[in-house]
Amino acid sequence: MKNAAGTHLPPEQRELMARAARLELISIGYTALTITLVALVVGNSQAMRTAWIEDMLSVLPQLAFLASLQFTRKARRYSHPYGYHRSMGAGHLVAGVALLVVGAMLAYESVSALVKLEHPTIGTMNLFGHTVWQGWIMMAVMALIAAPAVVLGRLKIKIAQPLHNKLLYADSKMAKADWQTNAASIVGVAGIGIGLWWLDSTAALVIAAGILKDGWDSTRSATSDLLDRRSKGVDGTDPHPLIAAMEEQLQSLEWVRTAGLRVRELGQVQHTEAFIVPEAETVTLAQSEEARKALEGTDWKAYDVVVTIVPELPEFLKQD
Amino acid sequence: MFRQRPFRARQVKGAAVLGSVFLATACFPAVPVDPEGTLDTVRSGTLRAGVSPASDFVEIRDGEPQGAEAMLIEDFAEHAGAEIQWTIGGEEQLVKQLEAGQLDLVAGGITSKTPWSEKAGVTRPYRTATDAEGKEMKIVLLVPPGENAFLSEVEYFLDQTQEMP
Repeated sequence: MKNAAGTHLPPEQRELMARAARLELISIGYTALTITLVALVVGNSQAMRTAWIEDMLSVLPQLAFLASLQFTRKARRYSHPYGYHRSMGAGHLVAGVALLVVGAMLAYESVSALVKLEHPTIGTMNLFGHTVWQGWIMMAVMALIAAPAVVLGRLKIKIAQPLHNKLLYADSKMAKADWQTNAASIVGVAGIGIGLWWLDSTAALVIAAGILKDGWDSTRSATSDLLDRRSKGVDGTDPHPLIAAMEEQLQSLEWVRTAGLRVRELGQVQHTEAFIVPEAETVTLAQSEEARKALEGTDWKAYDVVVTIVPELPEFLKQD
Repeated sequence: MFRQRPFRARQVKGAAVLGSVFLATACFPAVPVDPEGTLDTVRSGTLRAGVSPASDFVEIRDGEPQGAEAMLIEDFAEHAGAEIQWTIGGEEQLVKQLEAGQLDLVAGGITSKTPWSEKAGVTRPYRTATDAEGKEMKIVLLVPPGENAFLSEVEYFLDQTQEMP
């Protein structure tokens, strides 16, 4: 069996992968810039602080992606016969759990500030000899840094889909929604400005809820992949369209009476086991190889195809 | 990527949200506003000042506050057009009264590292001093938490009159 399938991506996908890595590096650099900028003005606004922490958290999936990438590049070997593709799943899970935990902490902080009727204090800054209310500067900074993250998110999501990379997909979705965080923090600070002290913590709660949702989605999707759920598309298409395409390939073979596929996701590739019920009593080596090659030829994602000849399809492959 | 319709729509929505926020703030002539109206009550007559004795900054002679910070508060009261109603006490008691809205301004050699920043509003440092060990410390005043118009007014006054390190 050729080791290359899936381990080394086809040239087009390899190019996309390199682009994804570049975009993630740019994202991390940009986030480092915004974290520094916001740190200068963060002040006492709960909403600003929550948005700031969310900025820091947004680096997690990006770092997880870059770290996992180092592993997926490794070729499989005797000790790791499936290769290292699952590292994407592990990274996805770690990022998801981190988002969940921090999101919950931030939500708790906002609620407790509301319950304790804490009035956020924001004073002034001395800008070139003028006493300027710091809230104006906070709002200006948050408005200024909102757009680039959204643009990066749009660029990344276009790559995540053809690469079938859920970690990258989750990261791009977070980035695309990033302007909402900035808008919420601006609303919070504006609330403080017009004397509505509770608007700040309420805005913080909205941001924390967004973080919690991202964390929940990532954790759930990563966990179900690690539990070898039937393969799904990155956008949630279930089952993955590739499964139907591969089944058709098998059905088109003359010696095949019926066939079923068990497909699970190993990161961005699909580990495929085919169960074939033949027409005749005997199956030749050539026929079995024909089936395997047909499946591997369907898509670069079809990885490590194993063909089994069975008298009838296993129960679990029949639809309920 | 800007050619895609849904992105446009969302961008417009986002811009609308931001725009209305700025519009809303523009409708309030004096941003920030005090939730409890401290600046207004001070301007309409009385500055309730709390002082805690601290060498050089606040001394009590014959029951009257003296020292640099007492003078600073007198100057601020004049700037705001208010009469001072003094309260002399320990820091903890004064901070509790700030929180309860019974005081407007507290002084007493309080530094920018004060643990009271959890409970009260803290101004920017307006001067420096050296402590017993010769280390530099930055001196601040305390205001009621969240009374941002009043805090801004105090800081404006400090910007105009003090060295502001």
